[in-house]
Amino acid sequence: MPERVRQLLPSVLSVLLALGVCWVLIALTLEPGTATDAYLQMLWGGIGNWPAYLDGAAATVITRPLGESAMKAALLTLTGLSVAVAFKVGLFNIGAQGQMLLGALAAAVVGAQVSLPGALHVPAALLGAALAGAAWAGIAGLLRIYRGVHEVISTIMLNWVALSLVDNWLVVGPLRGAAEGGQSITGTAEIQATAVLPRLLGEGSRLNLGFPLALVAALAVWVWLTRTRSGFETRAVGLGAEAARAAGIPVARRMGLAMALAGAMAGLAGAVLVLGTEGRYPGTLGAPYGFDGIAIALIGNNHPLGATVSALFFGVLRAGGTRMQLLGVHKSFPELIQGLALLFVAGRMVWLAVLRRRSVAPAASAEVPRA
Amino acid sequence: MHRGELLAVVGENGAGKSSLMNVLYGLYQPDAGVLSLDGQPVRFKSPRDAIARGIGMVHQHFMLVPTLSVAENVVLGREPTRHGLLDLERAVREVSATCARFGFQLEPRARVDTLSVGSQQKVEIVKALHRGAQVLILDEPTAVLTPQESDELARVMRGLVAQGHTVVLISHKLKEVLGVADRIAVMRRGRCVAEVRAADTTAEQLAALMVGEGPRAPAAAAPASAVSQAPGEPLLDVRGLQATGDNGRPALRGVDLEVRAGEIVGIAGVDGNGQRELAEVLTGLRSLTSGSGTLLGGPLGGLTPAQARTRGVGHIPEDRHHRAVVKALSVEENVALGRHTRPPFAKGPWIDFKGRRERTRALTVAYDVRPPDPEVALRALSGGNQQKVVVARELDARPRLLVVVQPTRGLDVGAVAQVHAKLREARDQGTGVLLVSLDLEEVLALSDRVYVFFEGRVTGHFPRHAFDERELGRRMLGTLEPGHA
Repeated sequence: MPERVRQLLPSVLSVLLALGVCWVLIALTLEPGTATDAYLQMLWGGIGNWPAYLDGAAATVITRPLGESAMKAALLTLTGLSVAVAFKVGLFNIGAQGQMLLGALAAAVVGAQVSLPGALHVPAALLGAALAGAAWAGIAGLLRIYRGVHEVISTIMLNWVALSLVDNWLVVGPLRGAAEGGQSITGTAEIQATAVLPRLLGEGSRLNLGFPLALVAALAVWVWLTRTRSGFETRAVGLGAEAARAAGIPVARRMGLAMALAGAMAGLAGAVLVLGTEGRYPGTLGAPYGFDGIAIALIGNNHPLGATVSALFFGVLRAGGTRMQLLGVHKSFPELIQGLALLFVAGRMVWLAVLRRRSVAPAASAEVPRA
Repeated sequence: MHRGELLAVVGENGAGKSSLMNVLYGLYQPDAGVLSLDGQPVRFKSPRDAIARGIGMVHQHFMLVPTLSVAENVVLGREPTRHGLLDLERAVREVSATCARFGFQLEPRARVDTLSVGSQQKVEIVKALHRGAQVLILDEPTAVLTPQESDELARVMRGLVAQGHTVVLISHKLKEVLGVADRIAVMRRGRCVAEVRAADTTAEQLAALMVGEGPRAPAAAAPASAVSQAPGEPLLDVRGLQATGDNGRPALRGVDLEVRAGEIVGIAGVDGNGQRELAEVLTGLRSLTSGSGTLLGGPLGGLTPAQARTRGVGHIPEDRHHRAVVKALSVEENVALGRHTRPPFAKGPWIDFKGRRERTRALTVAYDVRPPDPEVALRALSGGNQQKVVVARELDARPRLLVVVQPTRGLDVGAVAQVHAKLREARDQGTGVLLVSLDLEEVLALSDRVYVFFEGRVTGHFPRHAFDERELGRRMLGTLEPGHA
């Protein structure tokens, strides 16, 4: 079995096992038939109801679900990349959530307060979000490099700081949008039309520029890590920091820059959420896509493209999960599947050991003691 | 093997010695074949089974918890308890008793990281004996020891054998094996090719058996002249160098030395007398606390590893796993490490995959790296082949000054000869080589001049014609006042 395929197997098997376990759970609490139907509903809700479309239904039965999936997949891809990039340099970024909040706020402010022509406004808002996320992650990076503060601790704490700073103060206080037409609103002022990420499949589908943006980001990160000198240095630091130092690689700079890039990815996720879906920083952002990014990255084996595939898969599941409710199945099942898959992937070494034992089993059974 | 016998297993790197022992110890499972103990077939699923059947192993790289005491390390995994709580006093008593029974002098309460390498090894041996080991496997035990410590270890091994224990010694230091073993098994490429009584053989015969018929090209290449031409321009000149060690204590206390182009300068000394720190200062890995120096035309103070490399310092570090290679990366990526920003390894900001592949292919052939596959992960190579990759990389960079620490630690006869030949070749091409080794024979065989280190100071300086092993030994042990011969 080629090494690349073997690396993929634990993730694939974990996801399949998680799907199986959840199917059993639904089957036990409802009925086996319902479980299968629920999975089908989830599929049609995620990739579009192709049978209905082929029976002559309007194209929106395809484009609307795809839009929902793509929207979620874009956010999961970006936060997954955030965690994966940090992993490559040997850091565990638990702080994608906080970095995403800062990015979302920056995008909302640039989108609403700055006036720019259409071609520049979106890039400016995205850049602002990336920089805000990078700066927030950079705090954890600098603390690690100069003070030896473990990034797991600092990023967790910075998540809370970000939540308090943004959700609990700035958004309800200084940056709260002005009342419109006598109605007070929650969240920041609405972004200008020039800052809205254009929709790609018409108004009926929420698929917007954020989705291709996330895919391009993943591709760029992959190319950077595998094809460039600095990407090589980053991986070398992650796999053997002391050997990298002895080889003259600036370990601190690589760590700092990788952490900043991780923050930028999470910040972009915030921007895609605000510019593509919400239109403003809402009263509370809520959505824990930053935490999901940890699961996405780990299930994707911390590989930029692996994380993308895993984000696409769980984007589909998440979007389709709402349709399971039609059958009385709780909509949290997709998240349950994701959580279980993460749990199983954490047993990566067990998977590899099981796979290895299977491949040597014939030889071993041939010499069972005869006496 | 028989009870109460000292069996040595010798063979080249990658011959399968360590794999065999790992099977005995239950770390690896045999694919086929039967393992018998006291006439009964046994299967060890894990080291736990092996320990239960009285097999103990001392690994080449110690498996000790540095921050715990000797007693805590020895009882680790089967700690004595009282009312469910750890009974440390009893542990200390038990460990003292074990030490006394086998004649080891160890302080059970001492923290392991404060002990010398030789003492740490004794802790490992005591650990195995304490668990009731009847068969003791020692994997390259003398690789890290000073000559005195090696002699001490030989006495310990003979003592254990006299008490009815069985000792398996894995080594490729033939002289040592001949001096201590009863029987010697020679392995080559995964097979046991010969078994001889130590009394009936010679080092030459063993070496021939190990290498097999047909000497390999690099080892057989005519050695470069032992004595070089007149040394050239000074590459390194340090005065009053001081630096602090990892433990916060001064490791270098005022060192003066000089290395010129086209000479090999050896640093002799017992482990832990500042040699390692000197190498680290010269490669930019450790900052100096006082003193001055010129290194390849620039100041030594404030040197970074990157600057050292740009100036032309090559480095073959002592701690290969930690410092020289990244085992999870491929062979070609390791060859590029440190030079990855320059052709043929890079084109602008991009990795030059083709150039890197070609250069790696050429080096694996020239240095006889097995398997010669640039794409395989470095961790899949045996230790000797990993070291060949390191040596190939550092010499391929054509350094002006090469800092070499323990370059042949754990290598087999063929690989040692090859590394030595390559170092001489580099010297003859004008590279200045600073060789730090705990193996005095190696230092004397290669060096044009030798500095002796003791407690962070130079206690002797010998040119080649004045080498005197006894005199060097005395200065290494600090039994003479500092002076110059």
